[in-house]
Amino acid sequence: MEDSPIYEDLSLIRKRAVWVFRLVGLLFLGAAFIYWKIQVLDHRKYFALSEANRTRESVISSPRGILTDRSGAVVLGDNQASFKVSFIRENAVDFEASIRATAALLEIEDSVLRQRIESYKFLPAFRPVIVKDKLTLEEVSRIEGRRTEFPELVIETEPRRQYPFGPLAAHVLGTMQEVTAEEMRSRPGQRRLGDWVGKTGVEAAYETRLAGVDGTLIEVVDSLGRVREELRRIEPRPRPKLVLTIDYDLQTEAEQLLAGREGAIVALDPRNGEVLVLASSPTYDPNRFINRFTPGEWQSLIASSDNPLLNRAIQGLYSPGSIFKPIMALAGLDAGTIGPQTAFFCGGSALFYDRPFRCWAEAGHGSQTLVEAIKNSCNIYFYNFGSRLSIDTIARYAEMFGLGRATEIEIPGEKAGLVPTSAWKKETLKAPWYPGETISVAIGQGPLQMTPLQIAAATAALAGRGRRIRPHFSLEAAREPPSSGALETVALKDFETVIEGMWRSVNDGGTGRGALVAGFDVCGKTGSTQTIGRAAAERLAATGKTVRTHSWFTGFAPRNEPRIVVTVLVEHGGLGGATAAPLAGRIFGLFKDKYDR
Amino acid sequence: MIDRLHLRELDWVSTGLMLLNTAVGVVLIASATHFLGGGFVWKQLLWMAVAVPVFFLVVAVDYKFWVEISPYLYGLSFLVLVALLVFGRETSGARSWLHLAFIGGQPSELAKIAILLILARLFSEYRASFANVSFGLSAVFLAGLPMIAVALQPDIGTAACFLPLPAGALLLAGLDRRTIAFILIAALAGGFLGWNVFLKDYQKKRLETLFNPSQDPLGAGYHVLQSKIAVGSGGIDGKGFQKGTQSRLRFLPARHTDFIFAVLGEEFGFAGVLAVFALYFLLLARMFRSVGKSRDRTGAYITFMASSLLSFQFFVNVLMIVGLLPITGVPIPLLSYGGSSLLTSYVAVGLVVNVRMRRFAYV
Repeated sequence: MEDSPIYEDLSLIRKRAVWVFRLVGLLFLGAAFIYWKIQVLDHRKYFALSEANRTRESVISSPRGILTDRSGAVVLGDNQASFKVSFIRENAVDFEASIRATAALLEIEDSVLRQRIESYKFLPAFRPVIVKDKLTLEEVSRIEGRRTEFPELVIETEPRRQYPFGPLAAHVLGTMQEVTAEEMRSRPGQRRLGDWVGKTGVEAAYETRLAGVDGTLIEVVDSLGRVREELRRIEPRPRPKLVLTIDYDLQTEAEQLLAGREGAIVALDPRNGEVLVLASSPTYDPNRFINRFTPGEWQSLIASSDNPLLNRAIQGLYSPGSIFKPIMALAGLDAGTIGPQTAFFCGGSALFYDRPFRCWAEAGHGSQTLVEAIKNSCNIYFYNFGSRLSIDTIARYAEMFGLGRATEIEIPGEKAGLVPTSAWKKETLKAPWYPGETISVAIGQGPLQMTPLQIAAATAALAGRGRRIRPHFSLEAAREPPSSGALETVALKDFETVIEGMWRSVNDGGTGRGALVAGFDVCGKTGSTQTIGRAAAERLAATGKTVRTHSWFTGFAPRNEPRIVVTVLVEHGGLGGATAAPLAGRIFGLFKDKYDR
Repeated sequence: MIDRLHLRELDWVSTGLMLLNTAVGVVLIASATHFLGGGFVWKQLLWMAVAVPVFFLVVAVDYKFWVEISPYLYGLSFLVLVALLVFGRETSGARSWLHLAFIGGQPSELAKIAILLILARLFSEYRASFANVSFGLSAVFLAGLPMIAVALQPDIGTAACFLPLPAGALLLAGLDRRTIAFILIAALAGGFLGWNVFLKDYQKKRLETLFNPSQDPLGAGYHVLQSKIAVGSGGIDGKGFQKGTQSRLRFLPARHTDFIFAVLGEEFGFAGVLAVFALYFLLLARMFRSVGKSRDRTGAYITFMASSLLSFQFFVNVLMIVGLLPITGVPIPLLSYGGSSLLTSYVAVGLVVNVRMRRFAYV
């Protein structure tokens, strides 16, 4: 058939299109039949299924990894089963009435309950919102007894972090808090309502290491929420225990020694940086933090004037005072300003830059070598050679020991401290550095600021004859090294001269004699730092009042192949030799008893 | 371009049925999402506001022009699909979404239109009573290239929806025994290869559970079972607007997109299903009838392929809901939520209306 140029011959095409359309029509009939079968003939069966078929998916929270002390046997943090009750918005027939009835049943305020539920309005209505936890068995049975009246309530158990020794090592272990609505919104899918997360300490530093993988439970529930059948259960996968470097006995002793005082004790192993003790006082009970609904308790902790939440060992910044002298001595020896035999005369005071500077011993120490000056903590000796060093040289040596910089311990919140330089002063105070200020730095005063942990780490480098360590809490080998890379060894001569001075300080009637432990060769240095200016102190003294100095001790033992460093700070503890040194002595003694059999 | 004579011939019946079906879709989306955030109803209405002008634009320009530029459209959409494979970000397991500055869309949807037009162009010159092998191969090749690109995303369901285009064109061109045999062999070989090489485990599982949904009630068979329960529990008159427990209790996945028909079945029952069947049948009937009204082969092929495309997707979805076809993630045209799908459907209907409107030669 010839095509016309305008209308093509499409008869064959039309015929085929009609065939296909008939097929489509048949498909419609077939589909209608199938739907009729399912919806009309089998309706009863499917309707029953839809009624029974209210599966409920719930989370089986994984317990957190257990925390133990270095022996692996003393549990510092574990988990305890606890009941909580949640509210499912979708199941509430009348929201307002349900809020009132639920508040009465759970004995909480209407407004508190409403606020709690409404702050999670962004979640789908079928997600349970935890409204009360730590239920007693009596409460559980009361709620279960009225199960049918409250389809919107569901009781679940959760493993709850528990610290068996209460406040023990609280500043190491840290605190846990419920994930906030903001955190859930900012990282959807990663956190579920009611999850606990570590906020401080080891709990925060090892959050991913400790948090297990939650399991899932899928159950068939009827329209009243009663469980009919368990369909599938995926067990949670908790993580293995985390063994910490903390020594339970030493930590307990340290906290007892600090009881009633404000201060910190740090003990670590100078060979590897394992932290044996990290105590800060006053402290708190971290169990109280694990609380969703009474924030008042920790509000009062925050507001408390002695600031128990402050981890003085890593966040407290203190002037180091005389415990800075060993570092100064090493700087002087290395820079050539003094030699091991260099002696200066101490007459109790001396003039520098036309101003009188005093030694702590008013009568003076007489002629002193470096070893004697360290033993007696003679200020005049250090003024004499310190005035010949520039501040930037001193800062360079201090920085070699990691001072003025965070030690990069795992737990968050560590302060960096301050080692002043002339550039620092120009930048922050817009003034040049005066030589008179260097003299204060020479005895550890002036703008120097350090944390007890930094002092401990620097002491470890001294004990290791220059080998530096990074303090840490995990005994696991696979710890990721901090971004800053390996620590450089401090290559200085004459460590032994300084260590001799520190040994004599403790063992030869020096200022550190309080730390003496028979047969353990403790080497140490005391410090007493003024917390107010000299003029102010004298004015106070005139009125008969005194402000006691902060009391420091830092040292290590034994002298050869040292195995422990102890640093003690007691705020307003008076002289370092009188307060801090004996405390350190107790720790050294206990360590020796425990490990030197 | 368009004059009053054309306007008189504009097919208001198809247009009206298309809009009516979209409206039904909006009601179902409202029901499926009323307890969720996200403003799906408003977004769908917004998409409709975009699609309607596009529809009239498609209608206004002579279809010869669309066919004329089809090689460019085809090349462009193929390039975009390949670019997606290379640079695309994965959205729920497949690189099928194109994220432009403000809107996201699935280019695979619009690629269907490009294939439709280029096949119409190919077959418009073909006047023999039966398609021969070389013609058949050209058609398979033209449709196959973008299909493979989509299948690699991997989105087998959408890729399968390209099938009615070459199949429809070949059906219309006529198939002799030799060609049928060839296609069967090719399909078997392709199926064998696909199963063993290309299909992912989850896709195989879906196909397997199709035949036995209860073997794995919480795995791949779960959705089929839940969807059937939703439809079956609806009964004759349904549970009522926004009263469906299956969808509300989140047993239905993708309830506003792929499983919207299950929401219809549960809430409006068999009566609702029949009503939507009727509406859809009227629209498809009108479209198929337009094939006979076409002035030339080009028009006939366009109309037939567009009608086949909508019919195919409709049945794939409707039968998937009751477990007769595997769950493929194919939305139901006009009813499901989704901008790209809506736009493609409007363009397809627009082309049919276009052809019918220009069925008289004004010479």
